[in-house]
Amino acid sequence: MSIFDTLIAGSGLFFTPLAILLTLVGCLAGLIIGVLPGLGPLMGIVLMMPVAFYLPPIPAMGMLIAIFVGGSCGGAISAIVLRIPGTPLAAATLLDGYPMAQRGRAGDAIGLAVSSSALGGIFGGIVLIFFAPVLAGFALRFAPPEYFALALLGLICIAVVSQESTIKGFLTGALGLLLATIGTDSFSQANRFTFGQYQLLNGFHIVAVVVGLFALSEMFLQVQSGRLDQKPKVQKITVSFKSLFMALRHKTNLLRSSIIGTFFGALPGAGGVMSSFTAYAVAKANGKSDVPYGQGAEGGVVATESANNAACGGTLIPTLALAIPGDASSAVLMGALLLLGFFPGPDLFERNPDVVGGIFIAYIFANIFLFILGILLTPVFVSVLKLKKKFLIPLVLHLCVVGVFALQSSVFDLWVMFGFGVLGYVLRKFDYPLAPIVIGLILGPIAESNFRRSLLMSDDGAMVFFDRPVSALIMVVNVLLIILVLLPDKWRVWKTRVADI
Amino acid sequence: MTLFRSITKGLAVLAVSVTASGATEFPDRNIENIYPWGPGTTMAISQIIADAMGNELDVSIPVVSTPGASGVKAFKTALEKPADGYTIFDGYVAPLVLAPLLGNADWSYKDFTPLYSATSNSFAIIVRPDDNRFPDLPALFDYMRANPGKARYSTGAVNNLPHMVLAKVLQTADVYGTVIPFDESEQAMKDLRGGVFDFIITNPGTYKANKDNVRVLAVLSELEEVVAIYDGAPRVQDYGYDLGMSGLSPMGWNWWLVRKDTPADVVETLRTAMAAALARDDVQEKLLNLGYVPTNYGPDQYDEIVGAVGAELQSGIDAIEWVMSKQ
Repeated sequence: MSIFDTLIAGSGLFFTPLAILLTLVGCLAGLIIGVLPGLGPLMGIVLMMPVAFYLPPIPAMGMLIAIFVGGSCGGAISAIVLRIPGTPLAAATLLDGYPMAQRGRAGDAIGLAVSSSALGGIFGGIVLIFFAPVLAGFALRFAPPEYFALALLGLICIAVVSQESTIKGFLTGALGLLLATIGTDSFSQANRFTFGQYQLLNGFHIVAVVVGLFALSEMFLQVQSGRLDQKPKVQKITVSFKSLFMALRHKTNLLRSSIIGTFFGALPGAGGVMSSFTAYAVAKANGKSDVPYGQGAEGGVVATESANNAACGGTLIPTLALAIPGDASSAVLMGALLLLGFFPGPDLFERNPDVVGGIFIAYIFANIFLFILGILLTPVFVSVLKLKKKFLIPLVLHLCVVGVFALQSSVFDLWVMFGFGVLGYVLRKFDYPLAPIVIGLILGPIAESNFRRSLLMSDDGAMVFFDRPVSALIMVVNVLLIILVLLPDKWRVWKTRVADI
Repeated sequence: MTLFRSITKGLAVLAVSVTASGATEFPDRNIENIYPWGPGTTMAISQIIADAMGNELDVSIPVVSTPGASGVKAFKTALEKPADGYTIFDGYVAPLVLAPLLGNADWSYKDFTPLYSATSNSFAIIVRPDDNRFPDLPALFDYMRANPGKARYSTGAVNNLPHMVLAKVLQTADVYGTVIPFDESEQAMKDLRGGVFDFIITNPGTYKANKDNVRVLAVLSELEEVVAIYDGAPRVQDYGYDLGMSGLSPMGWNWWLVRKDTPADVVETLRTAMAAALARDDVQEKLLNLGYVPTNYGPDQYDEIVGAVGAELQSGIDAIEWVMSKQ
């Protein structure tokens, strides 16, 4: 059966009032859940799973996938408006999204984020529909050496996202790597740096860290800056779809970042955060922008948001085609599919093409609904900025506490959030970038475990990274990038030329 | 006078609300199931039972994934909650029996009150379907004997139950390879299919989702009924190898538990609901479709069954030490 037959078979299941309505509702719920600090798409999907049990397959999967899509974008809105990434996925978006808002372009930034997310998501969906089996086969060729090489590439991105202070960026990145070692070592089962605290057996919860580092530190700085009773001046926002054309002006960046997102999404275990930081780094290295990156460049928002939503489509590739979930959210989606009576994998494409087609169409429509809802709700989101600080700060703190506590019903997570809030405040006071901590914390376990796995499977020590063509290629790129970063500034002209290449 | 009347009225309202709250029947809010692994097929099993049990009790029972330290974090998290029946331990064999045996936990299975046993799942040794080196289990062992330490395999985590069962068989056959750990067994499936591993151990859920891309060499159970889950594949004992474990010992299983000091009436309510949920035909069908067998053991069988498993698993722990010392 051709892919078009699959889509035609699926259209019969999707184009029903119930399926369309639930996809719309799921998208709205995902957006709201993503906006709230702490609650990401994973929690949204888990919360709605019991409802999905009692629905026909496509309305159920449409709703859950729409939460995944909406939630992956929602975090960008709070990152732009309040400098609070609602999810770790949006940690890279605030690098330029928040400065855009500070320049009075909050509405433009949100519109750009929503449009880029939707376009990136649709790109990921098209790849999912037409190339799922091919890309799934390609993902199978990525073994521990390739994962390690990619994680190393991600860590080198720290040099790019650290603005002008590369050394400070590497220092905070190293701090993130050190923090990532906390917890039970899955190889030896030894507890590392847990100090008898069982809550640390799986390390720090990344969401508590991100909310603390970015949201709490920002609130501390806001309190310190005073003017709590001053009425803020906010750009007047009207509903407009012009942001779609703004995003399309960055078509090269959009396409490149969507490819990066889909690629990382298709690799089980790599994930959206890695894709958004990598896309940002590549965009910055290649970008010619009126406004410098890090100070409100549109290209920064386009890169990160198109990448992390394209990763949603990418992550469904191994989930549906190989029955190997790409990340935690897609693992829950796969569980939902199993509970509805369908086993993912090649069999699903042969035996239930209507279900596969229905899921594909639901995914594409979820992205279309994301665009429409995101644009319609932009004035509502921006209106938060009209609140005086004396109202806004307690509200944000309340949301942070509720969101982080809801992760695991854990008071310990609240202390973690508070501790990282203080750390973030101190680091920002001394101009140390915070994003490298998140990169280190997320990529640290990927790099460490795959490095150790590679050496275990190697017959020839570290040569395992150069024996395999794909791994060797990425490692060569890594070495070149490291040399580039370490070159003294007097070689800057040469560095710029190489970066341009 | 007005003040006096207000205070009297307030006290009356307070008295009524206190009486009312005291008379509230259990449960009057959501009950949490603390699940010890990351999301995946096995979590879907707990969600099926939690959903049916929630229907019986007319409350929601969310399954909360709390991975870390082979299930120890989930147990410690649940132990911090009050003994009021609103927290259920999803008591898998790893945190319940193995962790204390390995010295990673200071509890024993006797420290919990059982509701009912939920499901069991067996493990199997699988290879790529086109891997002609291993037409059967003896061929794999011959290869491992001829190439000591060269065969690469994964069982998920190193100190988990599947590795214990496999290590016991390897020790019996006097062969060994190189184990490469993963946090979740699904991740190892990708690298088996990608050619990194020579073989891996799988569970029914992962097998069913990948059955066209793998071939079962042997089922790690002595039970006849388990063979059907793996589409008629032979058991280890069919090749003349001694599994060294019997009954539930070489299988994954879970009991749903609450804290020891939970009030008896609350325990009874939970047991009644769980028994009713597990007895439902639709629930049984869903569990079986995913390859998980409802065990239907009642709370009165808890000590007998779990106690026996603990004794047999010690030999599996010794076998892992043997395998790791060779690596």
